[in-house]
Amino acid sequence: MRRHLLRRGAAFVATLFFVSVLVFVVIRVLPGDPAQLIMGTEGSPEAVARLREALGLNRPLAAQYVDWAGRALHGDLGVSIQYDLPVTRLIVSRLPVTVPLTLMAAAFMIVIAVPLGLYAATRHRHAGDYVTMVLSQLGIAIPAFWLGLLLILLFSVRLGWLQSGGFEGWRQGLGAGLRSLLLPAIALGVFQAAVLIRATRSAVLDVLGEEYVRTARAKGVPEVSVIGKHAFRNALIPVVTVAGFQLGHLLAGSIVLETVFALPGLGRLALGAIAARDLPLVQGVTVFVAGTIVLVNFLVDLAYGLLDPRIRYE
Amino acid sequence: MRSPLSLALVGLGLTLAIVGAAAPTDLTVQVTTEPPGLDLTATPASATAAVVHYNVQECLVKVDRHGKLVPWLAERWHTADGRVYTFFLKRGVKFHNGRELKAADVKFAIERARNPETRHPHREHYASIQEITVKDDATITFILTQPNPDFLLNLARQGSVIYPREAVETLKSAPVGTGPYVLAEWVRGDRIVFRRNPDYHVAGLPRIERVTWRFIADPNAALAGLKAGDIDASLFGLGPEHVTGLRKDGRFTVIVGDTTNDVIMAMNNLRKPYTDARVRRAITHAIDKREVLEGAMFGMGKILGSNVDPLNPYYVDLAGALPYDQAKARKLLAEAGYPNGFEAVLKVSPQYPYTVRTGEIIAHQLSRVGVRVRIEQIEWGQWLARVYCRPPCTTPEYDLTIIGHAESWDLGNYANPKYYFRYDSPELQELYRKSQATVDDKARRALYVQMQRRLVEDAPVVFLYMHPRLAVARKGLQGLWQDLPALSGDLSEVSWAPTK
Repeated sequence: MRRHLLRRGAAFVATLFFVSVLVFVVIRVLPGDPAQLIMGTEGSPEAVARLREALGLNRPLAAQYVDWAGRALHGDLGVSIQYDLPVTRLIVSRLPVTVPLTLMAAAFMIVIAVPLGLYAATRHRHAGDYVTMVLSQLGIAIPAFWLGLLLILLFSVRLGWLQSGGFEGWRQGLGAGLRSLLLPAIALGVFQAAVLIRATRSAVLDVLGEEYVRTARAKGVPEVSVIGKHAFRNALIPVVTVAGFQLGHLLAGSIVLETVFALPGLGRLALGAIAARDLPLVQGVTVFVAGTIVLVNFLVDLAYGLLDPRIRYE
Repeated sequence: MRSPLSLALVGLGLTLAIVGAAAPTDLTVQVTTEPPGLDLTATPASATAAVVHYNVQECLVKVDRHGKLVPWLAERWHTADGRVYTFFLKRGVKFHNGRELKAADVKFAIERARNPETRHPHREHYASIQEITVKDDATITFILTQPNPDFLLNLARQGSVIYPREAVETLKSAPVGTGPYVLAEWVRGDRIVFRRNPDYHVAGLPRIERVTWRFIADPNAALAGLKAGDIDASLFGLGPEHVTGLRKDGRFTVIVGDTTNDVIMAMNNLRKPYTDARVRRAITHAIDKREVLEGAMFGMGKILGSNVDPLNPYYVDLAGALPYDQAKARKLLAEAGYPNGFEAVLKVSPQYPYTVRTGEIIAHQLSRVGVRVRIEQIEWGQWLARVYCRPPCTTPEYDLTIIGHAESWDLGNYANPKYYFRYDSPELQELYRKSQATVDDKARRALYVQMQRRLVEDAPVVFLYMHPRLAVARKGLQGLWQDLPALSGDLSEVSWAPTK
């Protein structure tokens, strides 16, 4: 187990390294000089040149990277070009939106998908199964931003129950904060839930065909217990794997929904940073998000061991 | 809560709310882009000007809502020869930090703008200044190297704002000025909040207590926000396709006005066949601008014939100068040696959807005279790097491109052979040089008219249309600018009509 942890730890560091190098190179290879974008079509060529120098963009790429990585190791991700604030501080300031949004979407996804998947599996080739499958197909097909707009039209414009967007912050109270995140979390969670329904259904169906399930049934174990104890527990591994991957997708999906709902989250921070070629900010956010996803996968790995005592890493 | 007292209180509250019915005092406006920083002396970004200029920080001179230059922080000025200007400052003007505005502050701000050490994006606006002298706290004199007709205009631009010397360090995140509103809060990525400046130097203004600027990039989300009542007005960023529905909705006022944003189709004058003025004129003749305006802008906006916008006092209506005429276009192409037309690539950036729509219509129109246009959509960063061609780029990489030029008084671009059109006309350059040294209004106007006719003749680009000002406000909101002669979201005179 310890060796496994060490191996995963090394993979974690290596992933972060590759991601940071990749981001560093890709952003600089893209046409579109940050100084030029900041100045737009107005500023004079001299002003652009001055800005380039001030931003350190005229130094060799490797030197810029070593400089950046060295400071990043101490938690200093540099200073955002557009906001003139430390990148770390900007990232931290967006977490109170993105973390609850992702968690709410994940909770929505799990609460909806796992029971529905189980239900569909037990109703295999019956009406309930087909209806669930059609619904999940629909959930996969609907683009999240469009669903977001539909939800706004219904709940904000038509019914006037919820805000059409924006986030007043948690200072307004827990309820107000959660209300602002409700619609985007649903829009974000639907696609993932639809995927997870299918994963749960097929995992449970697989397990239901196994010998031990037939044995349990033959022994006269009640059906509830067969599904709940024997089948579901063993089906959890593929389900957790898919769910773990989906957390990464949720973070990515939040970019779109934060834009539709005008939420000041990490996704919009990244989007704005890319549009403005705010290099320190793009690098910081990307490495942070990559780190989070790698960490989640690491935790999913650990969860396997807990779910199935047979899995021992040696 | 069920006690009779609380019920009575609720009832009283309701009654007061109905009887009082005072006009609201808060305002929430939407803009598309968050400013990349609030320092007008370091960024030319229009998103910064929209929020800060005239609202938080002001200049000696102001471009008013009709496009006229009016005295502002300077009460008046005097010049005998167009070379020495003396400004008499309005007395009792206070900065947001409580200190009184003095002539020394003006000297400091303008000298800092001229200083090569600073990041001012438009130092050239102050190049004609030779010396600034402070006579007393309320009198300041500018001596120019030679008369400059744009001097007052340049002092009204966003980069010429006056701020207190002691606040120079915080301009980027917490600008201090003399404007009607004080910056209260900037929640990055979400909103900027202003509160009323109680010491504003214009009596009775502003009438709004609190302004919230929200950054909503998606127009559909902005429209939903308007309809849900979460935002009161959308100032910039909506296209004609978004406001058509709202025009029929009785809850809103749609403002359609003029701007200085000239939408053109630039041609790379260095590249064949666009080196030939006959080809360029042929392309202009082949484009039905009326149809373009109808199709791309739902008929909103105005057709242009030159690069001088309708808000400019020297505007001449040349919309019909090179009229839509397919036969003529074909004849000119044949004369130039292209009887069967040619292939062209039109580069547009989806960052500005109107350019893509305009391009599609034009590509179709040009195909009728044999010019086969392939549209290539490129990202804005690429457009700036390759088409607009700033160093290290040396040759613009494009045939045709469409973009709006929002700056007012930008005819100088055509006198600059290095500009991305690569239009090199000694005659126009000479005319422009003269216009920059002529202070007499009549003579200068004559030069501007000559320049515009020259541009029609040479057709270095196709002048398409003026992008309309499109803003939507909830009924009852009054005082917004109808036209946009300056890139400012000026809210100084905005107020809510009293409700009945």
